[in-house]
Amino acid sequence: MSLRSSKALGLALLALIGWSHADAKTLRVNINADPSQIDPITYSELNSYQVLQQIYEGFTAITPEGRAVPALAASWEPLASGNGFRFKLREAVKFHSGRPFTTKDVKYTFEQLLRPGGQGGLSAQFLGNVVGAADLKAGKATELAGVKIVDDHTVEVSFTKPDVLFPIYQFFFMDSGIVAELGADWMTKADAGTGPYTFKQWKRGVEVDLAANPNYWGGAPKIDGVQFLIIPTGDTALSQYDAGELDLVNLPENTFRRALANPAYQSQLIQVPKAQVRYMGMNQNLYAPFKDKRVREAISLSLDRDAMIKGLYSGAGFRLNGQTVPGIPGYNQDMPALKYDPDRAKALIAEAGYAGGKGMPPIEIQCTDPFKDEITYYANQLGKVLGMQVTPKVVERATFIKAMNAGEVAFFPWGWTADYPDAMTYLGEMWYSKSPFNRARWSNPAYDKVIEQAQTEPDDQKRYGLYHQAEKILMDDWATAPLPATTNIALRKPNVKNATVTPFGFSVFRDALIQ
Amino acid sequence: MAMFLVRRLLGLVPVLGVAIVLTFAATQALPGDPIAVMLSDHSADLELAARLRAEYGLDQPIWRQFLTYVLHIAQGDFGLSFRYVHTPVIDVLWDALKVSPILALAALAVAFPLGAFAGSCAAINRNRWPDTLVILFLVAGISIPNFALATFLVYVLSIKLGVLPVAGWGSIDRAILPVLILAIPSAAYLARLSRTFMLEVLQQDYVRTARAKGMRERTVIWRHAFANTLVPLLTQTGVIFGGLLSTTFVVETIFNIPGLGRLAIQSIFARDYPVAMAIILLFTAFYALINLAVDLLCLAIDPRLRAERARP
Repeated sequence: MSLRSSKALGLALLALIGWSHADAKTLRVNINADPSQIDPITYSELNSYQVLQQIYEGFTAITPEGRAVPALAASWEPLASGNGFRFKLREAVKFHSGRPFTTKDVKYTFEQLLRPGGQGGLSAQFLGNVVGAADLKAGKATELAGVKIVDDHTVEVSFTKPDVLFPIYQFFFMDSGIVAELGADWMTKADAGTGPYTFKQWKRGVEVDLAANPNYWGGAPKIDGVQFLIIPTGDTALSQYDAGELDLVNLPENTFRRALANPAYQSQLIQVPKAQVRYMGMNQNLYAPFKDKRVREAISLSLDRDAMIKGLYSGAGFRLNGQTVPGIPGYNQDMPALKYDPDRAKALIAEAGYAGGKGMPPIEIQCTDPFKDEITYYANQLGKVLGMQVTPKVVERATFIKAMNAGEVAFFPWGWTADYPDAMTYLGEMWYSKSPFNRARWSNPAYDKVIEQAQTEPDDQKRYGLYHQAEKILMDDWATAPLPATTNIALRKPNVKNATVTPFGFSVFRDALIQ
Repeated sequence: MAMFLVRRLLGLVPVLGVAIVLTFAATQALPGDPIAVMLSDHSADLELAARLRAEYGLDQPIWRQFLTYVLHIAQGDFGLSFRYVHTPVIDVLWDALKVSPILALAALAVAFPLGAFAGSCAAINRNRWPDTLVILFLVAGISIPNFALATFLVYVLSIKLGVLPVAGWGSIDRAILPVLILAIPSAAYLARLSRTFMLEVLQQDYVRTARAKGMRERTVIWRHAFANTLVPLLTQTGVIFGGLLSTTFVVETIFNIPGLGRLAIQSIFARDYPVAMAIILLFTAFYALINLAVDLLCLAIDPRLRAERARP
């Protein structure tokens, strides 16, 4: 190669390198896998949610602080019957297609979620109480009877039983005219939302690109777009952030130690509690000693939660004294602090007739692979303090979830992530005896009664009072030993503003700024 | 020639058949329920789970699932992905399909000339410093694990110096490090082979004859000796290419490249069996086809092989 041609090649390479760096006004963030689909109807996992919430909106939106505020619904009031709501929709909202957002789109979205043989994902569960939902699902009706369109901007939704939280459930309302315009595979060409960003392209395995919506009802975003880079490994994501290829990085747990230990990150660090409650499942049907409340309390007293946060979570955790987390409305900050008291634990277990662990059959503590250190800690600690014979056992995730759902796991640490910003998502799903997700099979009629009462209490403060009552019943009975909760940790470049992580993941980037 | 091609292509059928049976059996033996993975924590919603199970045919007996699978593959239909809801496997694979073979071929394109040339240079300068240098390179190239080398180079070149991007795909600068990491062990292996072959060829009578005729040393070495090391090197290329394809699994994961290797790993972890099985079948087919291509290439450059085939 002559000198001249090598120079030309060098220049061409430089040009390519320069060209490949993204436009400075695009916010670049990471997700750890492709979304399963960018579809407001079928979505059922977190990566899709991160993308969808930038494009689609519901009656309400969740603020970065975790509160629900009005979005596409301007206001709402309970129906006279008490079983339902009348929603006033925000006027002059347009879909990205230019068509106006009206009540017929609300009805259409609900019907898509329930369509027989359809694909309704996570949001479909929120419609379970709507009148006619079962008929529509079963194919006995073609329309959702419980939705009454009053006019273009007024709609009434009625329920078979009270559901006071309905306005804060996360729906993604979609344009009812999109299929007629673009066909059944519209999703590959466009989106059907009203939100601050529009779908631009999805390069599978590489990135999802969104562009700013200049006609957004809340004001056009001040950046050009958002780029979700698909980066499965945490270390790669952190390296790309270091190299300036990401503006905001949501870190997976295996990089926490690396991120927290580096003083250079201090001013860029964002740390918020995850919207996830963690608990120790103790199934009384499967292991006789768990029937004794003193045994359950002794297990809780044996756990050194501060040591766990430091040793197991790299310091990125906080103590939970009940089964709600800070940042989710209904959280009770006055729950008595859980103690680490091995002496009292030993005394309790002796009182229960198992002094030094004598007479307690051996038991396995099970969880999935990421928690192997944690279950080893529990096995060790309970052996040391109580003399229990506990063997840690790692189980493949899907097998484990299936067994837990069937109530077949005796002893396990697990968690539950909020589906909507209200403590009912924890108290009503995890410990209510009729919930399919009550995996430890704890059951208490007094608790159930308070939860049922809360389900019909529209006044927030009164309902939170009921949650506090329920949580007290739960903890007085030592239904579980709450475990430390973890945090979402992100790093953000100093020139980026108004983009952050919330207890649910990334915030909606409608006000994001890049300076 | 045509007969040879047809025979070899027919020979592919049992190979692929065995691959289909083995991959299907492996997915059945793995623990875990794809529907439970699909629904994650909400799999206690039995109604939803049952509906999806029926839609994906997972409620059928295993023999029927297998039969349907084979019949559909025969028609070029790999079914629906479990993870990408309602998306055909071929759509999930399509983009990745263009990445891994390109990556492996690019690495081969770098490794082959580099290895052949370095090995020959070493042989010509046997026991002098170029030989020592090449041997050092090949020992290092073969024994340093590619993930260690990759991490080191990313740290130095991307994070400290900022010359190349850390990871990703889609532009030439992003391809430099992965291709290099893939090429180095193969180049080292090829260099070792090439050195051995060259040393052997240099002892041959025709080389002595050529020198005796008074030919220039350069012509003797590159025209007569080197050309004759190419055939045995090429026959090794099929094996090397297979190795490269499987190494793309590692390199694609490290550099976050959306190729078949990374997709295969993700699919296995996500219990997306249809995608994982399709990738394994594709790899089997690639491997078989590249070996066929190498055989054809050898036929083309070595007149002796052609003559052998022509004989009855």
